[in-house]
Amino acid sequence: MDKTPNEYHISFFKPTTPQAKANRNMVLWLVLIWFFAIFGFQFLLWIIEKPTPEPAYATFQEVWPNVESNSASTGELRRFGQVTLSVLGKLALSQDDRASLDNALTWTIYELTPATDRSALLTKIREFEKMKAEITALSDVDYVKLKTELAQQLSPLLQISKSDVRSKILPLELVSADMSSMTGKTRESMPVIMKKYLVHNQSFLTDFKFLGFPFHYFYTAIFLLILFVGLCWLYCVKTDRLNAKMDIID
Amino acid sequence: MPVLTFAASGATQLEGSFKVGPAIILISILVLFVLVGILFRAKDTTDFYAAGRGISKVGSGMAIASNWMSAASFLGMAALMYGSGYHGLAYVVGWTGGYVLLLILMAGQIRKYGKYTAADFIGDRYYSQTLRAVGAIIAILISISYCVGQFGGIGLMFKWVMGIDYAWAVIIGGAVVLAYTLISGMLGVTKNMQIQYIIIIISFIIPLFILTFKFDYFWLLPQVGYGSVVSDAVAGIPIAESQQLVNSFGHDFAMVPAPEYAMPWDPATGKTFYQWIAIAFSLMIGTAGLPHVIQRFYVVPKARDARWSVVWGLFFICILYWSAPAYAAFGKILSAHPEVGQLAKDAIVVYTAQLGDVHPLIVGFLAAGGVSAAFSTVSGLLVAGSSAFAHDLYVKVINPNAKPKNQLLAARLGTVLMAMIVTVIALAKLALIGQLVAVAFSLAGCTIFPLFLLGIWWSDSNKAGAIAGLVVGGIVSAISLSYFIAGKYGVTWPLHNFVDYWLGAWYFAIIGAPLAIIAHIIVSKITKETPLEIRKFLIEKVHS
Repeated sequence: MDKTPNEYHISFFKPTTPQAKANRNMVLWLVLIWFFAIFGFQFLLWIIEKPTPEPAYATFQEVWPNVESNSASTGELRRFGQVTLSVLGKLALSQDDRASLDNALTWTIYELTPATDRSALLTKIREFEKMKAEITALSDVDYVKLKTELAQQLSPLLQISKSDVRSKILPLELVSADMSSMTGKTRESMPVIMKKYLVHNQSFLTDFKFLGFPFHYFYTAIFLLILFVGLCWLYCVKTDRLNAKMDIID
Repeated sequence: MPVLTFAASGATQLEGSFKVGPAIILISILVLFVLVGILFRAKDTTDFYAAGRGISKVGSGMAIASNWMSAASFLGMAALMYGSGYHGLAYVVGWTGGYVLLLILMAGQIRKYGKYTAADFIGDRYYSQTLRAVGAIIAILISISYCVGQFGGIGLMFKWVMGIDYAWAVIIGGAVVLAYTLISGMLGVTKNMQIQYIIIIISFIIPLFILTFKFDYFWLLPQVGYGSVVSDAVAGIPIAESQQLVNSFGHDFAMVPAPEYAMPWDPATGKTFYQWIAIAFSLMIGTAGLPHVIQRFYVVPKARDARWSVVWGLFFICILYWSAPAYAAFGKILSAHPEVGQLAKDAIVVYTAQLGDVHPLIVGFLAAGGVSAAFSTVSGLLVAGSSAFAHDLYVKVINPNAKPKNQLLAARLGTVLMAMIVTVIALAKLALIGQLVAVAFSLAGCTIFPLFLLGIWWSDSNKAGAIAGLVVGGIVSAISLSYFIAGKYGVTWPLHNFVDYWLGAWYFAIIGAPLAIIAHIIVSKITKETPLEIRKFLIEKVHS
């Protein structure tokens, strides 16, 4: 029997045929799974996260008051230098933050160097800076030689062993400008920089490992994509079955 | 500034000059594409727009994947993760999760509706020539916005291969992709897309096998094997005693602990929980509103094929999306030494292979894969944009009596015009490839997505409602984009930080789309009912 004009209405939430009802229920289930799998998990991650400092941050908090007031012992300066290098080894540094960290590191090295050797060190760093600006290949023999010399000379000052990755970074982060002082900007920004780079949002979901991944990373980067393909597959299979059951031909 | 000068040296060495091997590979692949394009070229308008509706569901799935896997997927995604760690995964989830929505809410129904273009649907469903024209203009804007990122990617890869300036690389690359699209049309493009998919995926995965094998990770399935690379980056990697694991500069495969790489919305990245959610959401609803994606459902014979082509397409897409984060993770460690310097993030995929000392010819193949990814998408976008111009604007609005020959000419003129506009914008280098492409998604999410969603599923959705939704979505889009562009040129407007954060150019659809839908519903409810013939058509053809 033909429909009256008023019966020609389609609404996803008010299906009028058995096929439309079955389709609506299936779509709602799939959308709910999809929504909670994506946003529910991220929300959970956000709710349970705790700001978790790296060990280097505790060291920084311990030594910083004395470093800031220029009353740090040699040991405290060494630990401060080590922490600064730990942050300088990170890749996501902004140029401003790097400049402050470079100043802090170079000043620390300057303070740890015997007064009689400081002038020679400054000359050597300037020579290295000049060389860095001029080389065209990182394999330049003179450049490599001077870099190695600086690393060997300065790593012991911070008590960093040769096998420590920070020993490789050290000579590259020295800046001759303002070497003899830690600038006001550096002093002001150092606590903020350290907190920014050394405190992370962690929880058992980020600490637990699965197939080598941090679990939350695996869930988002691998599992969710598998789920998406699975949901699509399920929808197609169910729709085919529904159509067959109701004798619907596309 | 010495530090910056120095930082450039590592990157400069990775760039190098003209690379013969990669250039030969790239040219061979492009010639292959053109030959296939000529072999299967469009013979009439039906061929040009919808490839004769003769493509199988697996083939269409491959074409969907190839069409989808743009420079943003191939180059941009790894770049985003390399630059901002876990935040970049919002793009991975956003660019795949949207297919679930697209499938269960639209794919079959769009095919049953039986139109050629998105604007066709809008014009018919909302019984308005004006809305058809607006839909066509939006489709063109989205295609342009999407293409800008692709041209940027093509430029970067041409620059890397040819050792030329970025601007020239964009111009040359743009000219090549334009010539290819004009020669082949959509039938050639669809055939090519299947070949392009194979090239894209092989070129992307081979270096990963090599990298995981070389650096002693589980190499049989690099998409899982790189999990330990992520964990190692978090925990830090000490210098190995054997000194065997080094990058191409001789730096140890070692780094200080970097939890910021994998931890969610880490302060070091400057990204927040809201931005993660907003990006994922915007990309997902944008996926379901992109004209060139929707248009792919018109080229399969039946609604069932449209549905299954999404499953296949998504699976093929995921193979690349499971792999891309691995490049970012390896890239992070291999470029950890300060001597490597600041690398162009959008080329990190290629740089990672170089830093991992992968054979130059394989790296060249990888770069050619990047160009293929951009080509396959650009050609689809140019076809979608020129279809909107020729079919929806020229034939349906301007000159209804146009002969097929003139219609094809209009399509080709539209393609040339679009390519020129895109080239000019791409030269401005406004943002990362992935971010530029994300703009198109938000635009689609605020404008086309509500029209399709409500147009298919609610017969009371009417012309006035559609106009209201478009106005609201358009206003939100305009506010976000004008603040973004002003910011790029150093102009600060009132509430700049507020708009920049809550309505960011990559994710403004999180606010714009719901508002557009609400406006559409409210106005539809209080205005004249949808004509009977449209409601009848929905029931009898689309939902029967």
